[in-house]
Amino acid sequence: MVSFARPSLLRQTLATRSPLLRQNVGVSQMVAFHASARKQILPPLPQSLEGTMNDPVPVPKPHPSEGSYHWTFERAVCVGLIPVCVAPFAAGSLNPVMDAVLCSLLVAHSHIGFQAAIIDYFRPQRVPKFNSLCNWLLRAFTLTTAVGLYEFETNDVGVTEALRRIWNA
Amino acid sequence: MASLRSTSRLFAASRPLFRPATFARSYATVESTPKNVDPIPSENPNMKTFKVYRWNPDKPSEKPNMESYQLDLNKTGPMMLDALIRIKNEIDPTLTFRRSCREGICGSCAMNIDGVNTLACLCRIPTDTAKESRIYPLPHTYVVKDLVPDLTLFYKQYKSIKPYLQRDTPTEDGLENRQSPEDRKKLDGLYECILCACCSTSCPSYWWNSEEYLGPAILLQSYRWLADSRDERTAERKAALDNSMSVYRCHTILNCTRTCPKGLNPGLAIAETKKMLAA
Repeated sequence: MVSFARPSLLRQTLATRSPLLRQNVGVSQMVAFHASARKQILPPLPQSLEGTMNDPVPVPKPHPSEGSYHWTFERAVCVGLIPVCVAPFAAGSLNPVMDAVLCSLLVAHSHIGFQAAIIDYFRPQRVPKFNSLCNWLLRAFTLTTAVGLYEFETNDVGVTEALRRIWNA
Repeated sequence: MASLRSTSRLFAASRPLFRPATFARSYATVESTPKNVDPIPSENPNMKTFKVYRWNPDKPSEKPNMESYQLDLNKTGPMMLDALIRIKNEIDPTLTFRRSCREGICGSCAMNIDGVNTLACLCRIPTDTAKESRIYPLPHTYVVKDLVPDLTLFYKQYKSIKPYLQRDTPTEDGLENRQSPEDRKKLDGLYECILCACCSTSCPSYWWNSEEYLGPAILLQSYRWLADSRDERTAERKAALDNSMSVYRCHTILNCTRTCPKGLNPGLAIAETKKMLAA
Protein backbone atom coordinates (compact mmCIF):
# COMPACT_ATOMS: atom_id res chain seq x y z
CA MET A 1 0.00 0.00 0.00
CA VAL A 2 1.35 3.37 -0.89
CA SER A 3 0.83 6.87 0.34
CA PHE A 4 -1.88 7.93 -1.99
CA ALA A 5 -3.80 4.82 -1.03
CA ARG A 6 -4.16 6.06 2.49
CA PRO A 7 -7.59 7.47 3.12
CA SER A 8 -7.68 10.69 4.95
CA LEU A 9 -9.34 11.24 8.27
CA LEU A 10 -12.26 13.06 6.76
CA ARG A 11 -13.08 10.59 4.05
CA GLN A 12 -12.65 7.68 6.42
CA THR A 13 -15.14 9.03 8.93
CA LEU A 14 -17.51 9.84 6.14
CA ALA A 15 -17.36 6.33 4.86
CA THR A 16 -17.63 4.63 8.24
CA ARG A 17 -20.50 6.83 9.27
CA SER A 18 -22.64 5.70 6.39
CA PRO A 19 -22.65 1.90 6.30
CA LEU A 20 -26.33 1.92 5.41
CA LEU A 21 -25.76 4.21 2.50
CA ARG A 22 -23.08 1.91 1.16
CA GLN A 23 -25.46 -1.02 1.00
CA ASN A 24 -27.81 0.89 -1.25
CA VAL A 25 -25.31 1.29 -4.05
CA GLY A 26 -25.64 -1.27 -6.78
CA VAL A 27 -22.71 -3.56 -7.42
CA SER A 28 -22.44 -2.49 -11.03
CA GLN A 29 -22.24 1.12 -9.96
CA MET A 30 -19.53 0.27 -7.51
CA VAL A 31 -17.57 -1.71 -10.06
CA ALA A 32 -17.87 1.06 -12.60
CA PHE A 33 -16.68 3.62 -10.13
CA HIS A 34 -13.89 1.92 -8.27
CA ALA A 35 -10.66 1.20 -10.02
CA SER A 36 -9.24 -0.89 -7.20
CA ALA A 37 -10.59 -3.48 -4.79
CA ARG A 38 -12.70 -2.11 -1.99
CA LYS A 39 -11.84 -4.89 0.38
CA GLN A 40 -8.51 -4.25 1.97
CA ILE A 41 -6.50 -6.19 4.45
CA LEU A 42 -6.24 -4.11 7.60
CA PRO A 43 -7.02 -0.69 6.16
CA PRO A 44 -5.44 2.14 8.14
CA LEU A 45 -7.67 3.76 10.72
CA PRO A 46 -8.30 7.48 11.02
CA GLN A 47 -5.45 9.28 12.65
CA SER A 48 -5.58 9.36 16.43
CA LEU A 49 -3.05 11.09 18.63
CA GLU A 50 -2.67 10.81 22.37
CA GLY A 51 -2.66 14.15 24.18
CA THR A 52 -2.17 17.51 22.59
CA MET A 53 0.20 18.50 19.81
CA ASN A 54 2.83 19.54 22.34
CA ASP A 55 2.82 16.38 24.45
CA PRO A 56 5.50 13.83 23.72
CA VAL A 57 4.34 10.32 22.91
CA PRO A 58 4.27 8.19 26.07
CA VAL A 59 7.56 6.42 26.78
CA PRO A 60 6.99 2.69 27.33
CA LYS A 61 8.21 1.00 30.51
CA PRO A 62 11.63 -0.66 30.27
CA HIS A 63 11.21 -4.32 29.45
CA PRO A 64 14.69 -5.80 28.82
CA SER A 65 13.40 -9.35 28.34
CA GLU A 66 11.49 -8.07 25.30
CA GLY A 67 14.14 -5.52 24.42
CA SER A 68 17.88 -5.73 24.84
CA TYR A 69 18.07 -9.24 26.38
CA HIS A 70 15.78 -10.55 23.70
CA TRP A 71 17.90 -8.98 20.97
CA THR A 72 21.15 -10.30 22.45
CA PHE A 73 19.66 -13.77 22.75
CA GLU A 74 18.40 -13.63 19.19
CA ARG A 75 21.81 -12.57 17.87
CA ALA A 76 23.53 -15.27 19.93
CA VAL A 77 21.21 -17.92 18.49
CA CYS A 78 21.85 -16.65 14.95
CA VAL A 79 25.61 -16.64 15.37
CA GLY A 80 25.52 -19.98 17.18
CA LEU A 81 23.63 -21.61 14.34
CA ILE A 82 26.43 -21.03 11.83
CA PRO A 83 29.07 -23.34 13.34
CA VAL A 84 26.47 -25.88 14.44
CA CYS A 85 25.13 -26.12 10.88
CA VAL A 86 28.58 -26.58 9.36
CA ALA A 87 30.43 -28.56 12.02
CA PRO A 88 28.78 -32.02 11.75
CA PHE A 89 29.31 -32.15 8.01
CA ALA A 90 32.81 -30.71 8.18
CA ALA A 91 33.85 -33.10 10.94
CA GLY A 92 32.19 -36.04 9.23
CA SER A 93 31.15 -37.55 12.51
CA LEU A 94 27.77 -37.70 14.19
CA ASN A 95 27.24 -36.52 17.69
CA PRO A 96 23.86 -36.61 19.40
CA VAL A 97 24.79 -33.59 21.56
CA MET A 98 25.57 -31.53 18.48
CA ASP A 99 22.29 -32.63 16.95
CA ALA A 100 20.42 -31.62 20.08
CA VAL A 101 22.07 -28.20 20.08
CA LEU A 102 21.30 -27.72 16.39
CA CYS A 103 17.63 -28.67 16.85
CA SER A 104 17.07 -26.47 19.88
CA LEU A 105 18.76 -23.49 18.21
CA LEU A 106 16.69 -24.01 15.05
CA VAL A 107 13.46 -24.13 17.03
CA ALA A 108 14.37 -21.00 18.99
CA HIS A 109 15.48 -19.17 15.84
CA SER A 110 12.31 -19.89 13.92
CA HIS A 111 10.12 -19.07 16.92
CA ILE A 112 11.76 -15.66 17.36
CA GLY A 113 11.52 -14.97 13.63
CA PHE A 114 7.82 -15.73 13.37
CA GLN A 115 7.16 -13.86 16.59
CA ALA A 116 8.76 -10.75 15.09
CA ALA A 117 6.53 -11.09 12.03
CA ILE A 118 3.42 -11.33 14.22
CA ILE A 119 4.42 -8.24 16.21
CA ASP A 120 5.10 -6.35 12.98
CA TYR A 121 1.95 -7.17 11.06
CA PHE A 122 -0.74 -8.01 13.62
CA ARG A 123 -0.43 -5.45 16.35
CA PRO A 124 -2.38 -6.20 19.53
CA GLN A 125 -3.81 -2.66 19.51
CA ARG A 126 -5.19 -3.13 16.01
CA VAL A 127 -6.27 -6.79 16.00
CA PRO A 128 -6.10 -8.03 19.61
CA LYS A 129 -7.90 -11.32 19.06
CA PHE A 130 -6.07 -12.26 15.90
CA ASN A 131 -2.79 -11.31 17.53
CA SER A 132 -3.31 -13.70 20.43
CA LEU A 133 -4.58 -16.39 18.05
CA CYS A 134 -1.38 -16.06 16.02
CA ASN A 135 0.75 -16.17 19.13
CA TRP A 136 -0.95 -19.34 20.41
CA LEU A 137 -0.72 -20.93 16.97
CA LEU A 138 2.97 -20.13 16.88
CA ARG A 139 3.49 -21.63 20.34
CA ALA A 140 1.62 -24.76 19.27
CA PHE A 141 3.70 -25.07 16.11
CA THR A 142 6.94 -24.50 17.98
CA LEU A 143 6.00 -27.13 20.55
CA THR A 144 4.99 -29.60 17.84
CA THR A 145 8.24 -29.00 16.01
CA ALA A 146 10.26 -29.44 19.17
CA VAL A 147 8.48 -32.70 20.07
CA GLY A 148 8.75 -33.93 16.49
CA LEU A 149 12.47 -33.20 16.36
CA TYR A 150 12.94 -34.92 19.72
CA GLU A 151 11.14 -38.01 18.45
CA PHE A 152 13.14 -37.92 15.24
CA GLU A 153 16.38 -37.68 17.17
CA THR A 154 15.60 -40.41 19.68
CA ASN A 155 13.68 -42.93 17.56
CA ASP A 156 15.15 -42.31 14.13
CA VAL A 157 18.44 -41.25 12.55
CA GLY A 158 18.41 -37.57 13.48
CA VAL A 159 18.52 -34.35 11.50
CA THR A 160 22.15 -34.39 10.45
CA GLU A 161 22.10 -37.99 9.29
CA ALA A 162 18.83 -37.45 7.47
CA LEU A 163 20.27 -34.46 5.64
CA ARG A 164 23.37 -36.42 4.73
CA ARG A 165 21.29 -39.27 3.31
CA ILE A 166 19.11 -36.91 1.31
CA TRP A 167 22.23 -35.20 0.01
CA ASN A 168 23.83 -38.49 -1.00
CA ALA A 169 20.64 -40.02 -2.37
CA MET B 1 -23.35 0.70 -20.00
CA ALA B 2 -25.65 3.50 -21.07
CA SER B 3 -28.62 1.85 -19.42
CA LEU B 4 -26.60 1.36 -16.28
CA ARG B 5 -25.71 4.97 -16.19
CA SER B 6 -29.26 6.12 -16.66
CA THR B 7 -30.53 3.92 -13.85
CA SER B 8 -27.86 5.21 -11.56
CA ARG B 9 -28.84 8.72 -12.59
CA LEU B 10 -32.44 8.02 -11.66
CA PHE B 11 -31.35 6.47 -8.44
CA ALA B 12 -29.19 9.39 -7.57
CA ALA B 13 -31.89 11.85 -8.56
CA SER B 14 -34.51 10.28 -6.36
CA ARG B 15 -32.17 10.23 -3.42
CA PRO B 16 -29.71 13.04 -3.85
CA LEU B 17 -27.81 12.08 -0.70
CA PHE B 18 -26.71 8.81 -2.26
CA ARG B 19 -24.61 10.33 -4.97
CA PRO B 20 -21.76 8.02 -5.91
CA ALA B 21 -19.37 10.78 -4.97
CA THR B 22 -20.26 10.07 -1.35
CA PHE B 23 -18.67 6.66 -1.69
CA ALA B 24 -15.50 7.92 -3.19
CA ARG B 25 -13.38 6.20 -0.60
CA SER B 26 -11.50 4.14 -3.08
CA TYR B 27 -7.81 3.90 -3.40
CA ALA B 28 -6.84 4.43 -6.98
CA THR B 29 -5.76 7.83 -8.09
CA VAL B 30 -7.41 9.36 -11.10
CA GLU B 31 -5.12 10.46 -13.88
CA SER B 32 -5.94 13.71 -15.58
CA THR B 33 -4.96 14.64 -19.10
CA PRO B 34 -2.42 17.46 -19.39
CA LYS B 35 -4.27 20.72 -19.60
CA ASN B 36 -1.94 22.75 -17.44
CA VAL B 37 0.69 23.79 -19.94
CA ASP B 38 3.44 26.33 -19.48
CA PRO B 39 1.76 29.65 -20.41
CA ILE B 40 4.78 31.30 -22.03
CA PRO B 41 7.20 28.68 -23.35
CA SER B 42 10.53 29.68 -24.89
CA GLU B 43 11.32 29.55 -28.63
CA ASN B 44 12.59 25.98 -28.60
CA PRO B 45 10.57 24.62 -25.73
CA ASN B 46 11.83 21.55 -23.88
CA MET B 47 8.55 20.45 -22.36
CA LYS B 48 8.43 17.96 -19.50
CA THR B 49 5.35 16.56 -17.84
CA PHE B 50 5.04 16.62 -14.06
CA LYS B 51 2.33 14.59 -12.40
CA VAL B 52 1.52 15.89 -8.98
CA TYR B 53 -0.65 14.31 -6.30
CA ARG B 54 -3.58 16.54 -5.49
CA TRP B 55 -6.11 16.22 -2.72
CA ASN B 56 -8.22 18.99 -1.34
CA PRO B 57 -9.53 18.73 2.24
CA ASP B 58 -12.34 21.13 1.35
CA LYS B 59 -13.76 18.48 -0.98
CA PRO B 60 -13.30 15.36 1.15
CA SER B 61 -15.52 13.15 -0.97
CA GLU B 62 -13.42 13.67 -4.05
CA LYS B 63 -10.72 11.19 -4.87
CA PRO B 64 -7.11 12.21 -4.75
CA ASN B 65 -5.91 12.68 -8.30
CA MET B 66 -2.68 13.06 -10.22
CA GLU B 67 -2.70 16.40 -11.94
CA SER B 68 -0.50 16.87 -14.97
CA TYR B 69 1.52 20.00 -15.58
CA GLN B 70 3.76 20.71 -18.53
CA LEU B 71 6.71 23.00 -18.03
CA ASP B 72 9.34 24.28 -20.39
CA LEU B 73 12.61 23.14 -18.80
CA ASN B 74 14.50 25.95 -20.57
CA LYS B 75 12.64 28.43 -18.42
CA THR B 76 12.72 26.36 -15.22
CA GLY B 77 15.49 26.10 -12.65
CA PRO B 78 17.38 22.81 -12.29
CA MET B 79 15.64 21.46 -9.19
CA MET B 80 12.25 19.91 -8.58
CA LEU B 81 11.41 22.68 -6.14
CA ASP B 82 11.98 25.23 -8.92
CA ALA B 83 9.48 23.33 -11.04
CA LEU B 84 6.93 23.20 -8.20
CA ILE B 85 7.33 26.90 -7.44
CA ARG B 86 6.93 27.67 -11.12
CA ILE B 87 3.77 25.58 -11.32
CA LYS B 88 2.37 27.40 -8.29
CA ASN B 89 3.36 30.84 -9.54
CA GLU B 90 2.48 30.54 -13.18
CA ILE B 91 0.03 27.69 -13.77
CA ASP B 92 -1.93 26.64 -10.71
CA PRO B 93 -1.85 28.73 -7.52
CA THR B 94 -3.92 26.12 -5.66
CA LEU B 95 -1.02 23.66 -5.58
CA THR B 96 0.08 23.31 -1.97
CA PHE B 97 3.49 22.24 -0.69
CA ARG B 98 5.93 23.18 2.07
CA ARG B 99 9.17 24.90 1.23
CA SER B 100 11.46 27.31 2.93
CA CYS B 101 15.21 27.44 2.46
CA ARG B 102 15.54 25.99 -1.08
CA GLU B 103 19.01 24.66 -0.22
CA GLY B 104 18.46 21.44 1.73
CA ILE B 105 18.89 22.78 5.25
CA CYS B 106 15.33 23.20 6.52
CA GLY B 107 13.78 19.87 5.52
CA SER B 108 10.41 21.38 4.64
CA CYS B 109 10.12 20.20 1.06
CA ALA B 110 10.45 16.46 1.78
CA MET B 111 8.29 14.54 -0.66
CA ASN B 112 8.26 11.41 -2.77
CA ILE B 113 9.67 12.23 -6.20
CA ASP B 114 9.79 9.49 -8.84
CA GLY B 115 9.43 6.88 -6.12
CA VAL B 116 12.17 8.17 -3.83
CA ASN B 117 11.69 10.18 -0.67
CA THR B 118 13.85 13.24 -1.01
CA LEU B 119 13.98 16.98 -0.63
CA ALA B 120 12.56 18.69 -3.70
CA CYS B 121 15.23 21.36 -3.42
CA LEU B 122 18.06 18.80 -3.61
CA CYS B 123 16.49 16.71 -6.39
CA ARG B 124 17.45 17.57 -9.94
CA ILE B 125 14.73 17.44 -12.58
CA PRO B 126 15.59 14.44 -14.79
CA THR B 127 16.48 15.92 -18.19
CA ASP B 128 14.80 13.05 -20.03
CA THR B 129 11.68 14.87 -21.20
CA ALA B 130 10.17 11.72 -22.68
CA LYS B 131 9.50 10.44 -19.17
CA GLU B 132 7.14 12.19 -16.82
CA SER B 133 8.05 12.93 -13.22
CA ARG B 134 5.65 11.88 -10.50
CA ILE B 135 5.46 13.74 -7.23
CA TYR B 136 3.65 12.39 -4.17
CA PRO B 137 3.57 13.39 -0.51
CA LEU B 138 5.69 11.33 1.90
CA PRO B 139 4.39 7.74 1.90
CA HIS B 140 2.12 6.49 4.69
CA THR B 141 1.49 9.88 6.17
CA TYR B 142 -1.87 11.46 6.74
CA VAL B 143 -2.13 14.12 4.08
CA VAL B 144 -3.21 17.61 5.08
CA LYS B 145 -3.44 18.88 1.53
CA ASP B 146 -1.74 18.02 -1.77
CA LEU B 147 1.94 17.49 -0.91
CA VAL B 148 1.68 18.51 2.74
CA PRO B 149 1.87 15.57 5.16
CA ASP B 150 0.83 15.66 8.81
CA LEU B 151 4.03 15.23 10.83
CA THR B 152 2.49 15.73 14.28
CA LEU B 153 3.24 12.20 15.45
CA PHE B 154 6.80 12.51 14.15
CA TYR B 155 7.40 15.65 16.22
CA LYS B 156 5.69 14.14 19.27
CA GLN B 157 8.04 11.18 19.00
CA TYR B 158 10.99 13.52 18.67
CA LYS B 159 9.95 15.26 21.84
CA SER B 160 9.70 11.94 23.68
CA ILE B 161 13.44 11.23 23.32
CA LYS B 162 14.33 14.51 25.09
CA PRO B 163 16.53 15.96 22.36
CA TYR B 164 18.59 18.25 24.57
CA LEU B 165 21.66 18.04 26.80
CA GLN B 166 20.84 16.66 30.24
CA ARG B 167 23.46 17.22 32.94
CA ASP B 168 23.45 17.12 36.71
CA THR B 169 27.02 18.19 37.48
CA PRO B 170 28.10 21.78 36.83
CA THR B 171 30.83 22.43 34.29
CA GLU B 172 34.47 22.61 35.39
CA ASP B 173 35.02 26.24 34.50
CA GLY B 174 31.43 27.28 34.87
CA LEU B 175 31.38 28.40 31.25
CA GLU B 176 31.26 25.54 28.79
CA ASN B 177 30.68 21.82 28.65
CA ARG B 178 34.00 20.84 27.13
CA GLN B 179 34.52 17.84 24.91
CA SER B 180 37.62 16.28 23.40
CA PRO B 181 37.98 16.39 19.59
CA GLU B 182 37.61 12.59 19.54
CA ASP B 183 34.32 12.75 21.42
CA ARG B 184 33.14 15.52 19.15
CA LYS B 185 33.98 13.36 16.15
CA LYS B 186 31.46 10.75 17.34
CA LEU B 187 28.68 13.24 16.63
CA ASP B 188 29.64 13.73 12.99
CA GLY B 189 27.02 12.18 10.77
CA LEU B 190 24.44 12.58 13.54
CA TYR B 191 24.10 16.30 14.19
CA GLU B 192 23.56 17.06 10.49
CA CYS B 193 20.07 15.51 10.51
CA ILE B 194 17.43 18.09 9.65
CA LEU B 195 14.42 15.94 10.59
CA CYS B 196 12.85 16.00 7.15
CA ALA B 197 11.20 12.60 7.84
CA CYS B 198 12.33 11.15 4.50
CA CYS B 199 13.93 8.14 6.20
CA SER B 200 11.15 7.43 8.68
CA THR B 201 8.47 7.48 5.99
CA SER B 202 10.54 5.19 3.77
CA CYS B 203 10.80 2.53 6.49
CA PRO B 204 8.30 -0.33 6.17
CA SER B 205 8.52 -1.01 9.90
CA TYR B 206 7.56 2.60 10.51
CA TRP B 207 4.70 2.26 8.03
CA TRP B 208 3.22 -0.63 9.98
CA ASN B 209 4.04 0.43 13.54
CA SER B 210 4.51 4.18 13.57
CA GLU B 211 2.45 4.50 16.77
CA GLU B 212 5.08 2.71 18.83
CA TYR B 213 8.22 2.30 16.73
CA LEU B 214 10.18 5.54 16.78
CA GLY B 215 11.52 5.31 13.25
CA PRO B 216 15.02 5.94 11.87
CA ALA B 217 15.07 9.74 12.10
CA ILE B 218 14.12 9.82 15.76
CA LEU B 219 16.45 6.92 16.59
CA LEU B 220 19.33 8.70 14.86
CA GLN B 221 18.62 11.73 17.04
CA SER B 222 18.30 9.49 20.07
CA TYR B 223 21.73 8.03 19.32
CA ARG B 224 23.11 11.53 18.85
CA TRP B 225 22.38 12.15 22.55
CA LEU B 226 23.45 8.66 23.63
CA ALA B 227 26.81 9.17 21.91
CA ASP B 228 27.34 12.64 23.34
CA SER B 229 30.10 12.55 25.98
CA ARG B 230 28.64 15.60 27.75
CA ASP B 231 25.23 14.03 28.36
CA GLU B 232 24.84 12.42 31.79
CA ARG B 233 21.50 10.69 31.44
CA THR B 234 22.65 7.89 29.16
CA ALA B 235 21.24 5.19 31.44
CA GLU B 236 17.84 6.89 31.50
CA ARG B 237 17.85 7.29 27.73
CA LYS B 238 18.76 3.64 27.27
CA ALA B 239 15.98 2.52 29.61
CA ALA B 240 13.47 4.51 27.59
CA LEU B 241 14.42 2.55 24.47
CA ASP B 242 14.65 -0.87 26.11
CA ASN B 243 11.35 -2.41 25.05
CA SER B 244 10.13 -4.45 22.14
CA MET B 245 8.72 -1.59 20.08
CA SER B 246 10.81 1.58 20.32
CA VAL B 247 14.02 0.32 18.68
CA TYR B 248 13.68 -3.37 17.98
CA ARG B 249 11.11 -3.05 15.22
CA CYS B 250 14.11 -2.07 13.10
CA HIS B 251 14.92 -5.08 10.94
CA THR B 252 17.89 -3.47 9.18
CA ILE B 253 15.97 -2.89 5.95
CA LEU B 254 18.20 0.15 5.35
CA ASN B 255 15.70 2.10 3.25
CA CYS B 256 16.53 4.95 5.63
CA THR B 257 20.20 5.05 4.68
CA ARG B 258 19.39 4.70 1.03
CA THR B 259 16.92 7.55 0.91
CA CYS B 260 18.53 10.12 3.24
CA PRO B 261 18.89 13.31 1.19
CA LYS B 262 21.67 14.48 3.51
CA GLY B 263 23.70 11.31 3.03
CA LEU B 264 23.50 10.24 6.68
CA ASN B 265 23.29 6.68 7.94
CA PRO B 266 20.38 6.16 10.36
CA GLY B 267 20.76 2.38 9.95
CA LEU B 268 24.25 2.53 11.45
CA ALA B 269 23.03 4.74 14.30
CA ILE B 270 20.29 2.22 15.14
CA ALA B 271 22.81 -0.63 15.02
CA GLU B 272 25.06 1.30 17.42
CA THR B 273 22.07 1.94 19.67
CA LYS B 274 21.32 -1.77 19.75
CA LYS B 275 24.94 -2.51 20.64
CA MET B 276 24.85 0.08 23.41
CA LEU B 277 21.65 -1.41 24.78
CA ALA B 278 23.05 -4.94 24.64
CA ALA B 279 26.27 -4.01 26.42
